[in-house]
Amino acid sequence: MPESKIIVKNLTHTYNKGLAYETHAVDDVSFEVAEGEFCSIVGHTGSGKSTLVQHLNGLLKPTSGSVTVGGVDVTAKGASVIDVRRKTGMVFQYPEYQLFEETVYLDVAFGPKNLGIAEDEIEVRVREALGLVHLDYDEFAQRSPFELSGGQKRMAAIAGVLAMRPEVLILDEPTAGLDPKSHEDVLALIVDIRRQTGCTVLLVSHNMDDVAALSDRVFVMAAGRIVRAGTPEEVFADEEFMKGIGLGVPRARAFASLLARKGLVLPAAERILTRGRLLDALGALTS
Amino acid sequence: MRNNKSGPHCLCGPFCIMMTDNIIINIEDLGFDYASDDGEIAALTGVSLSLARGSFTAVIGRNGSGKSTLAKNINALLVPTRGQVTVGGFDTQDEDRIWEIRRMAGMVFQNPDNQLVSAVVEDDVAFGPENLGLPREEIRARVRSSLESVDMYDQRKMAPHLLSGGQKQRIAIAGVVAMRPDVIIFDEPTAMLDPEGRGEVLDIAKRLHAEGITVLLITHFMEETVDADRLVIMDRGRVAMDGAPGEIFTRTEELRALGLRLPFAVDLAEGLRARGVPIPEGLLHEEELAEVLTCLNQK
Repeated sequence: MPESKIIVKNLTHTYNKGLAYETHAVDDVSFEVAEGEFCSIVGHTGSGKSTLVQHLNGLLKPTSGSVTVGGVDVTAKGASVIDVRRKTGMVFQYPEYQLFEETVYLDVAFGPKNLGIAEDEIEVRVREALGLVHLDYDEFAQRSPFELSGGQKRMAAIAGVLAMRPEVLILDEPTAGLDPKSHEDVLALIVDIRRQTGCTVLLVSHNMDDVAALSDRVFVMAAGRIVRAGTPEEVFADEEFMKGIGLGVPRARAFASLLARKGLVLPAAERILTRGRLLDALGALTS
Repeated sequence: MRNNKSGPHCLCGPFCIMMTDNIIINIEDLGFDYASDDGEIAALTGVSLSLARGSFTAVIGRNGSGKSTLAKNINALLVPTRGQVTVGGFDTQDEDRIWEIRRMAGMVFQNPDNQLVSAVVEDDVAFGPENLGLPREEIRARVRSSLESVDMYDQRKMAPHLLSGGQKQRIAIAGVVAMRPDVIIFDEPTAMLDPEGRGEVLDIAKRLHAEGITVLLITHFMEETVDADRLVIMDRGRVAMDGAPGEIFTRTEELRALGLRLPFAVDLAEGLRARGVPIPEGLLHEEELAEVLTCLNQK
């Protein structure tokens, strides 16, 4: 069996170590993600999700434990930042706020430039990355990123990460604050990028519908620990638990439960996580 | 005097005995331009809206449609390039009334971290009333009642940074409530919150409305709009649709063309109808749809 793409071993991150208000933001977390797998991390605000993922591209160093991405120990003392950034691309929340260059081209080129890539290769990368996010090179490359629409700005910011050709793509709330159409566009884009590049994806999200629809596996965090892990069906089977930690379940699953409380029990209700499945189950019942 | 045809614009201002209508916010032919390198860009064009006192209006529209610009024009963070906005009868262009306008029309923004200024919850809520120069006892009473109204009185001694996103947003709301506003404008208050936090904030908005506050809720979550009295849809700086949610959500194709989608229950009902299941029109809530389905199944 090939080695996992991401290996997190006994990772602990303690803020304010040694002080009275010392807190374990991440507390002895271990998990692995296979190459090409799509995993999601869910948890309420302050559960440690962001602290955890910031270890994957070396932004934070662990208090103890280790993180290996694509065979490189990113938490090792001598780990080169460039090696780490080549492996892991991170799209932060509201990434459009980090656009800063005069043109879309320069903004997308910023990452590869810092990796020390040659100028002619950079242009190839910028074309490729803008193509992946469906921004036409000729139309957008020389425009100011600040003239783009909200959805386009976010796409341009994501292109800046893709231009580094990461093996692992981490997205922190990539659809927050977007209108429904742009929300759908960004999700379709993530699916498309994964299909075209084969990259491993780690999605941090508060949207249980998206998590259920996209993920191979889901990790549920609470108080710095992974408290549940499994396929979406496994994780969302325990609706009471998911509600108890403030997350809830996908709307289709919640609706199936509402029907059950009224006496209409759908077959295999705990496996109904998407609108399509719910419509199928209801259609079969009433036809 | 530009507008003396409707009540609040006559010379006597908001205390006019002739004021017969019940309009708290009046927006007439509002236009707003942003300056850019290429000259002026119109963010709002010809927007006219009147909000009745005590109403609950939801505003939706795609990113960049002008929702936030509209909100900022209501509490005089921005002032009109064209047209007129009045709050409680005061023109937002009247600089002498600007603080009174902002007190009357309080605003809650998307990111709670940008709205909290103090190291202790109760100090944060006291910040506004202190700036009004109110007596100490009055400030204390207002802080207490405001925190109680968002269910955060027990956390009054805590540091805001130790609270959850939903709790922080409730503190921001308490800070607005402490100013005794007539209107609260919520500009995507739940966009950054987890599901529990979203529920908390929406419940508080509904409760404040039930207590008599006029609410204007800007959101991207269709489900948050179904209980509004009125739904206004913005597109390219204009009002594209304006009506009751039950009416607007029957216009599926128009909504899709505007980059919007249906609330979950409405979408599900439509999907079921397409499969030949006889679901009546006009259902907005999951509870109602579940009832209908349960009845159908028993037949």
